[in-house]
Amino acid sequence: MEFEDTLRDVMSAVFAVPTEVITPDSSMDTIEGWDSLKHMNLVIALEDEFGVSIPDEDAADITSYALVKVVLEDLMKA
Amino acid sequence: MSTTIDHKGILSDSTATLARVIRAVDQAEAELDVTPNLSFGVSSNVSADLVSLFLRKHALLHGKRLNCEVGGHDDVLNDVSRFAEAGVKNMLYIPFFDNLVPNFETRIDSFFDQDIEAIHSDFIMRTKLMFEKAKTMSMVYVSTFHLYDFAVDAGANDRRKMVLNMFNAKLRDLASGFPNVRLLDVGTILQTISTEKAFDRRFYFLNTAPYRPVFLDELARCIALASRGFGTYFYKALVLDCDNTLWGGVIGEDLMDGIKLDPHSFPGCVFWQAQQAFLGLERSGTLLCLCSKNNPEDVDQVLTSYPNQVLKDEQFILKKVNWQPKVENLKAIAQELNIGLDSLVFVDDSSFECESVRAALPQVRVVQVPSSLQHYPKTIQEIRELFIPAGIMDESRSKTNQYAKILKASAGSADFDSHDDYLRTLDLQVTLDRNSPKDIPRISELSMKSNQFNLTTLRQDVGDITRRMASSDNRVYSLKVSDRFGEAGLTGVAIVSWEDEIATVEAFLMSCRVIGRGVEFSIWSQIAKDAAEKGCRFLQASYLPSAKNLQVSDFYDRLGLSRIASTDAGTYYMKPIDRFTPPTVDYIKVIYGI
Repeated sequence: MEFEDTLRDVMSAVFAVPTEVITPDSSMDTIEGWDSLKHMNLVIALEDEFGVSIPDEDAADITSYALVKVVLEDLMKA
Repeated sequence: MSTTIDHKGILSDSTATLARVIRAVDQAEAELDVTPNLSFGVSSNVSADLVSLFLRKHALLHGKRLNCEVGGHDDVLNDVSRFAEAGVKNMLYIPFFDNLVPNFETRIDSFFDQDIEAIHSDFIMRTKLMFEKAKTMSMVYVSTFHLYDFAVDAGANDRRKMVLNMFNAKLRDLASGFPNVRLLDVGTILQTISTEKAFDRRFYFLNTAPYRPVFLDELARCIALASRGFGTYFYKALVLDCDNTLWGGVIGEDLMDGIKLDPHSFPGCVFWQAQQAFLGLERSGTLLCLCSKNNPEDVDQVLTSYPNQVLKDEQFILKKVNWQPKVENLKAIAQELNIGLDSLVFVDDSSFECESVRAALPQVRVVQVPSSLQHYPKTIQEIRELFIPAGIMDESRSKTNQYAKILKASAGSADFDSHDDYLRTLDLQVTLDRNSPKDIPRISELSMKSNQFNLTTLRQDVGDITRRMASSDNRVYSLKVSDRFGEAGLTGVAIVSWEDEIATVEAFLMSCRVIGRGVEFSIWSQIAKDAAEKGCRFLQASYLPSAKNLQVSDFYDRLGLSRIASTDAGTYYMKPIDRFTPPTVDYIKVIYGI
């Protein structure tokens, strides 16, 4: 699966919404299920799936699809 | 994503990623296509919501669909009320040590003794109150306290550990007063998965969520074990092969000098440890049987004369050492012990034997000894967990003795002129107790596992029995049987409810250990007398057929009740109490207990 497909898939599983709902514009404000508890699950699920460790200063801040993507791409490049 | 995913494979893979587990649980629940048949409430003083995902996962692995309610933050007393209102029957309570008061653990070193004393007594008061409120729940699982920051200092002055131990000791003490409370030993869980993998300090700081998924998964797995697969199994007998299961090598070929079994050297020590574990199970009430293709005298020689042999002849309730197919031997074992095939766990090293049993007797739980012996201890642990869920009730101890007495007694009965003559020599005594609180766990256990002598197959958990005992129009009778061979313990239960003029026998069940001696008839004049005292004029009862209780289909006919209706669903009986005379059993002394 392509990187962004996997990303969408993880987000749709964690927030319990169909994959199509996850778009580049998605954020904590647009997705109803994205609350602070689900946000923790998202961070853990992303770490699991992509085999990275998201630093605590980023963990709280990646509250949109675009931010998640940027942080993950950075971590995977390293 | 493709829809043809192997959910079961993902669910049983403890390394599956979180997203895959979420997806698999959601889809497996949808495919199971039943409404949730199990309810759980989760309460904690930290955020541990994700445990509900793993409870659902482990329930699915046992074919159950679980509905999980998560309580408020650090609000356990109200949570219990809310769960009770919502009809939730089981709950998990995770009290987190460091958050008993904010940063408790880190402040222990700077607190005065009286500060800690105050926190301790507040904890006792709240916990007691909570257990009291949750009394009518079927089961309350509570995780024990643990430290979050581990010090290497093993000195006696490590104040944090001392305080931790004090809280855990009190928690144990409080739990022991409530039969429906089970403690889950978090220390053991942390040992198996390491604190590094168990804790997430980042989210503890950000969201008071200290646990990583791997810990919560393991906690849920422990609950699945403690609840015997959420009530889906109840194993009673462990059937063991001999060669390469109890000792290394083949006794018929390697002979006494050649087999491997001793405490000190590999691989003999692996088998020696296995035998120790099986002995422990026997002492806790598991019935041990042998099922081995060997010459019986060869195996007997090991049992009686091999110096390092741990399990002796008397530990085995039945031995099937012969050249018959194991499938036939297992059937015979189930029949002779009068238990179902689904109560057997079979252990063998041979893939052929394991497969043939799996194919012919799918009800039997089959465990294969791993070919690489270093993994045998882990397999042994898995076998232990099938039998000992969480705590053992005293009554279940040394069941081998009780069954052995029966086998001996039935062998002896051949010498008497009539069965009654034989029974007369037994000095049978029945103690009939009413609403006896200390018997609640055993009464519930018996109602959960009795199949054959069980008139209505009404399963009652600890909460159900507690509620009935507390109500004024119900009475729970428990029977304790003894004879000159010894005590058989609590082996029968009758539940009677009274409404207006009618006394209804809601449940009547007995352990098969004491059947065939008239005990089942001996108690009814007392039950009728009690009902009459409560103002009832009629005794009503029913036989509800199940897959296993055919042997009692005419019990109430034999008891002297009149049939009033008979359908596929059951046979219904009624009799005016003043005209009810149960069969006399003059060789049994009935003592009316509390």
